[in-house]
Amino acid sequence: MIRNYFKIAFRNLWRHRVFSFINILGLSVGMSACLLIYLYVSFELSYDRYHAKGDRIFRVVTNIKTPTDTLDWNSASIPMSPAMKKDFPEVEQFVRIEPNSLLVSRGETKFQEDKLAFADSSLFSVFTLPLVKGDPDKALAAPWQVVLTETSAKKYFGTAEPVGQTLYLTGSRLPATVTGVMKDFPDNSHFKYDILVSMTTWTQKINPGLDDQWEGFNGFAYVLLHDAKDAPGLKAKLPAFIDRHIGKDLQKAQMTFTLDLEPMKDIYLRSKRGAPESGSLPNITIFSLIAVFILLIASINFINLATARSAERAKEVGIRKVVGADRKQLTGQFLGESVLLCMISFLMAVGLCALLLPLFNQLSGKTISHGIFDHASTIGILLLIAITIGLFAGIYPALVLSGFRPIAVLKGSFSSGKKGILLRKGLVVSQFVISIALITGTLVVYSQLTFMRNQDLGFSKQQQLVINFDGDSTIWQHYEAFKQQLTSLPNALSATASSAIPGQGNPTAYSQLENHLGVMQPTNMELFSIDYDFIKQYGIQIVAGRPFSTGFPSDSTRAILVNEEAVSTLGYHSPQEIIGKKFSQWGRQGTIIGVVKNFHFRGLQNAIKPMDFRIRPRDFSFVTVKISGRDVQKTIAAAGDLWRRTLPNRPFAYYFADEEFNKLYRSEDQFGQLFLNFAILAIFISCLGLLGLASYSTLQRTKEIGIRKVLGSSVGGIVNLLSKDFLKLVWIAFLIASPLAYIGMHKWLQDFAYRIDMDWWIFAMAGMIAMLIALFTVSFHAVRSALANPTKSLRTE
Amino acid sequence: MIELKRISKWVMVGNKPNFILKDINLGIKEGEFVSIMGPSGSGKSSLLNIIGMLDDASEGEYFFLNQAVHGLKEKHRSQLYKQYIGFVFQAYHLIDELTVYENIETPLIYQNIKSSERQAMVADILDRFQIVGKKDLFPTQLSGGQQQLVGIARALIAKPKLLLADEPTGNLNSRQGEEIMDLFKELNKEGVTIIQVTHSEKNAGYGTRIINLLDGRVEL
Repeated sequence: MIRNYFKIAFRNLWRHRVFSFINILGLSVGMSACLLIYLYVSFELSYDRYHAKGDRIFRVVTNIKTPTDTLDWNSASIPMSPAMKKDFPEVEQFVRIEPNSLLVSRGETKFQEDKLAFADSSLFSVFTLPLVKGDPDKALAAPWQVVLTETSAKKYFGTAEPVGQTLYLTGSRLPATVTGVMKDFPDNSHFKYDILVSMTTWTQKINPGLDDQWEGFNGFAYVLLHDAKDAPGLKAKLPAFIDRHIGKDLQKAQMTFTLDLEPMKDIYLRSKRGAPESGSLPNITIFSLIAVFILLIASINFINLATARSAERAKEVGIRKVVGADRKQLTGQFLGESVLLCMISFLMAVGLCALLLPLFNQLSGKTISHGIFDHASTIGILLLIAITIGLFAGIYPALVLSGFRPIAVLKGSFSSGKKGILLRKGLVVSQFVISIALITGTLVVYSQLTFMRNQDLGFSKQQQLVINFDGDSTIWQHYEAFKQQLTSLPNALSATASSAIPGQGNPTAYSQLENHLGVMQPTNMELFSIDYDFIKQYGIQIVAGRPFSTGFPSDSTRAILVNEEAVSTLGYHSPQEIIGKKFSQWGRQGTIIGVVKNFHFRGLQNAIKPMDFRIRPRDFSFVTVKISGRDVQKTIAAAGDLWRRTLPNRPFAYYFADEEFNKLYRSEDQFGQLFLNFAILAIFISCLGLLGLASYSTLQRTKEIGIRKVLGSSVGGIVNLLSKDFLKLVWIAFLIASPLAYIGMHKWLQDFAYRIDMDWWIFAMAGMIAMLIALFTVSFHAVRSALANPTKSLRTE
Repeated sequence: MIELKRISKWVMVGNKPNFILKDINLGIKEGEFVSIMGPSGSGKSSLLNIIGMLDDASEGEYFFLNQAVHGLKEKHRSQLYKQYIGFVFQAYHLIDELTVYENIETPLIYQNIKSSERQAMVADILDRFQIVGKKDLFPTQLSGGQQQLVGIARALIAKPKLLLADEPTGNLNSRQGEEIMDLFKELNKEGVTIIQVTHSEKNAGYGTRIINLLDGRVEL
C-alpha cells in the first residue's frame, strides 16, 4: 500500500511539475533561510560561553558622576581589581587587560599591532584560553614577557620556534621575550588580541606609578568570584570600598565613582557600556522574528497550495472511495504525500544552506559556522519542523477530501468549498503582512543609512588623507618641519596634526569650567589636542570668539575652544557669554577663547557631547593632509616616500577620513543588507504562493471566463476581474502591516541619536511595491487565460 | 439478494422537497441481469447509487443479502460494499496517475490482500480480458473501449457478486459497446448479478429484465 502511495505521490509531483517546483522551492528556500538565521543567532548567543568558569567571571565597570552628567564606562582603573582581591575574600582572582597599539619588530619584520594588550598572567587561569607552549603561571608574570597567538607567532617566526626569542616593542627600543604561544582567541569572544604583553611591563616599566592611579580609565578588569551568588553582596560593599580608598580625592573633585559587576556572559549582548566587540540584542530579536516569519510564510504557502490543489485530486479520491478505500486510508495517503514533499524540501534546504553558508559568513562579517553539518541537532530539529509542516499541510486536504461523497465528486458537481477559500485568503493576507512589513523595514533601514551618510557632519571629511603615526615622538618633536615637507608635496593643500580624528575616538577629560553662575563646574569634556591649522583644514566653524592663533603665545598652554553643546551644558544662553570664562583641565588653567559650531565627532548613533580643543603637540598621533582631487595615487605615493625617509622604522599607515567615518556604520550596513536579502526572500516566497493560488483560481474560473468572453468582455476586463480579488488581499495586508512595521522600526530607530522621521511615503512605497509585484504575478496567469479561446474552455465535459 | 421497500429520495429546493425517487419497491434475485431504463432525470442513476451504497435514501428500507443496509454504520456498509459490489461508470473513472495494472490492483490493496496474491489475481484478469500487453500503459494512452475494459476489470477483480454499471457504453462507439455488452452477458452467465442503467433499447435487450423509471417512479 505504501508503495502504491509513493508511486502516486511521485507521479503526481511529476504531472504537476510547475506547482510541485513552486511548492518545494518555496519551502526549501524558506527553511534554508531559517536555518541560516538560526546559525547566526546561535553564534551571537554563544559569545563568551566557552569559558569553563564563565559563570563566576564578572567585568568591573565604573560609573563616573559629575554634577552635570554621568558616564557609564566599561572600564576600571589599574588599582581597582587588585585592591578588590585584597579586600574581599569573595574574589578569587582578577585579570586586567589594557588594550594598546604598538609597533612590534623582529629584525626587519615590522608590524603595527593594533590588537595588542597588556594583561595579567591570571588571564590563562581565569579565562579558558589555552597555551600551546609555555607555562600559564609564568608566561606573563615578569616585565618584558610576550605571549603570541598561533597566528601571530607564524607571522613573526614562520616555522621557527618562537619561545625564547626576542621581539622589540615600539620599533627597536624595548626588547621583550616570547614566553608562550596561545591558541587564537575563539571567534565568539568579546575581546580578541594578537599579542599579549605582561601587565607588569605596563605598570612598572612603561608607566611607573600607574599602580596607584585610581582615576585613569583605559583598560578592562575582570574578577573571578568563588561563587557567582556572592556578586550581589559584593556589589553592595563596593561604595564603601571606593570611599575607603579614594573618597577624599573624589570629594574634592566633586565626583563619585560607582563600581558595578557585569556577568561575563551578558557583556557581548546585554551590556549598554559596550565592549571591544559587542552585538545587538534587538537585531538578534529582529532576525529571529524574521526567521520565524519566513518559515511561516513558506509553510503557509505550502499549506495553501496543497489545499488549492486538493480540488484537483477530488476525482481520484472519489474513485478510491468507490473501489473501497476508507477514510483512514485516504487520510494516510494525503498526509504521507505532503510529508514526502516536505522531506524533499528539507533535503534541498540543507543542500542550499551548505552552499550559501560561506556567502552568509561573508555577509554577516563573521564565521558563524564552518560547516552546516556541524549542527546535527539543529538539522534534526529542522527535520521535525519539516515533518510537522507536512502534517499540517496535509491535514486539511486529507480531512476535506476524504470526507467527500464520492458520487458528488465523480459527477463533477464538486466545487471547492467557501470555507477553504476563506482560509486561503486569510493565509495570503498574513503572508503579505509579513512581506510588506519587511519591505517597510528595509526602506526605513536604508533611509536611515542614507541619512547618516549624507548628513552634514559639521566638518569637512573629503580629501583628507590621514596618516597614523601612533604618537611617535620623532614626529611630534619635529612636526613643524615635517608639516612643511608634507604641504610642499604636489597636490597637497595643507596639513595638520591632532590627537584624534573625528569619528575615530578620543579621550574624555575630567574638567572644571566656569558656568553661568560663576562657579567652577565639574564637566566631562571630550578632548581633541590639535595644532593651529586643524580648525581651518577640517572646516569647523567658529560661532563666537576666535580660533587658536600663533599671534597669542598663551594660546598654546592657557586657552581652549569649546563646542556649542558645552555652552548650553554650562547654562549660557549664547556662545558669546562663555568667551573669557575660566577652565581647569588635566593640570592646565586658562580661558575659553572661542566656541565652535557643533560637529559630529562620533557616528550619528551618538548625541553630540560637550567637547573642547586645545593645543598640545605631545598628544599628537595623526597627521592629516588635505589634498586636491587630482592624481590621488601619486600624492599618496609621494607622501609614502617622504614618510619612509623621515621614519624608516614605522610602516606608512593611512586612510581617508570620509571612508573611515563611514565605517562607523558598518554594522548598520550589514544589518541593512541582511534585512534587504530577507525581505526579498519573503516577498519572493509570498509571490510563489500567490502565483500558485492565482493559477488555480484562474483554472477554476475557466468556465466563467469563457462565458464572459462569449458575452463580450474585453481582455482587460477579465484581467481586472481576476486580479481584483488578489489585490484586495494585498491591500488588507498593507493596512495591517503598516502599523506593525511602524512600531517595530520606531523601536529600531531609537538606537540613533540622529534619525529620520518615518514619512508616509515609506509606507506608501512599501505598499506600492507589494501591490505591483502581486499584480505582476497574478496578471501573468490572468492575461493568459483572458487571451485563451473561449470555445476551448467551454467545451470541457 | 436486493430488497427495496418504499425507497424515496428527495432534495430540498428552497423549502420544498423535490423528489428524485418516490416510493420504489423492488426485488432483485441473485443471477439476474437487470436494465434500468428511462428518460433523463427519471432517477435511474440515483437508484443505482442507492443500490450501490454510494448514496443514502431519504426514506425507506434497503436489504442487501438480508442485511438492513439503511441501519448499518458507514464502516460496516463499506465492508459489505467492498466485498460484494463492483461499479462501472460511463466516464470509466480510472486514476490517471496509475497504470492499467495498478488501477486494477487498487481495490485489492484496500482489502488488504497480500502482494503475491494480488499479482496472481491481476495477472488472471489481464489475461482474461486480453489486455496483458497494455498493463503498463496509463489510462490516457488507451481508447475509450479499452479504458472501459480496464474499468470493468477493476470492478471484477475482487470477485463481487453484484456488478453495477451506469451507462457503461455511453461514451463508446457501437462496436465497442457491443463488445462490452457481450462481456456483461458472459459474466452474467458465470453467475454475476448485473444491474445496468442504459438509454439504449438494444443494450437493455441483453438483460433478463427491464425496469422502466419515469419521474422517480417505477413504471409497471
